[in-house]
Amino acid sequence: MAQTAAAAEDPALRERFERDVLPLLPSLYAAALRMTRNPADAEDVVQDTYLRAYRGFAGFQEGTNLKAWLYRILTNSFINTYRKKQREPQTVDGPDDIDEWYLYDRLGGRSVELSAETEVLDRIPDQAVKQALESLPENFRLPVLLADVEGFSYKEIAEIMETPIGTVMSRLHRGRKALQKALWDTAKERGLVDDDDA
Amino acid sequence: MTTPDCGPNCEETLRAIESVLDGEADVLVQQQVEVHLSDCNPCMQRAEFRRHVKVVIRSKCGGDVVPPALEARIHALLDEPPRVP
Repeated sequence: MAQTAAAAEDPALRERFERDVLPLLPSLYAAALRMTRNPADAEDVVQDTYLRAYRGFAGFQEGTNLKAWLYRILTNSFINTYRKKQREPQTVDGPDDIDEWYLYDRLGGRSVELSAETEVLDRIPDQAVKQALESLPENFRLPVLLADVEGFSYKEIAEIMETPIGTVMSRLHRGRKALQKALWDTAKERGLVDDDDA
Repeated sequence: MTTPDCGPNCEETLRAIESVLDGEADVLVQQQVEVHLSDCNPCMQRAEFRRHVKVVIRSKCGGDVVPPALEARIHALLDEPPRVP
């Protein structure tokens, strides 16, 4: 019944949109930045996301997962509009030569105390961690972003990305390994660790 | 990798640790991992490290300031007259 009504026509719907969807703008914008790696494109993707969400809000079932619904629109918007424009070649190959304990083995295993290793990570500036994440190929970056930054479950990510859950798990696993290497590289560049890793 | 050499369950534990930390392991696996970790300091250190990596990524990859112009454009969307899709 309300399927065709635009939110702008319905004050209650509009109010609910303002209450529930507008506050997610900072996290959607941050996610769009990580996806597009560029503020101007992130703005376009977020604006498109809000436009689509607002027009489709009447069809959203209250009580279901609003955040996942919005991230699905965001991801679609990124993939359909932005990526087509960019024609970025899709990387299928993963960083398979990286060990799952890459970072731990380099930072850790050196001291008895865990605090030394975790402190190195704490000292990496936010901007450098963002760049490390953004350095991952898109196929691996999105699952890591959705899982580790946004806290979505494997099942939610599979729905958001319209990808089988097994593929999500495998890309997440490989993406995290690549991120470990990127974090190690940035820590090394910044002199936060001794470069005695042969 | 420098595998901890503390018992027969280390390998299984470390293989399961990612899904446990993600809250995606089934209850039985989660219990087995917890039991092992409480007994095995090398595995516990690895688990804690991985947990910390997740925390660092989560805490450092957000907080970008939304440009005021974008915020204004989005608020303006709400006043747009409805269009036929």
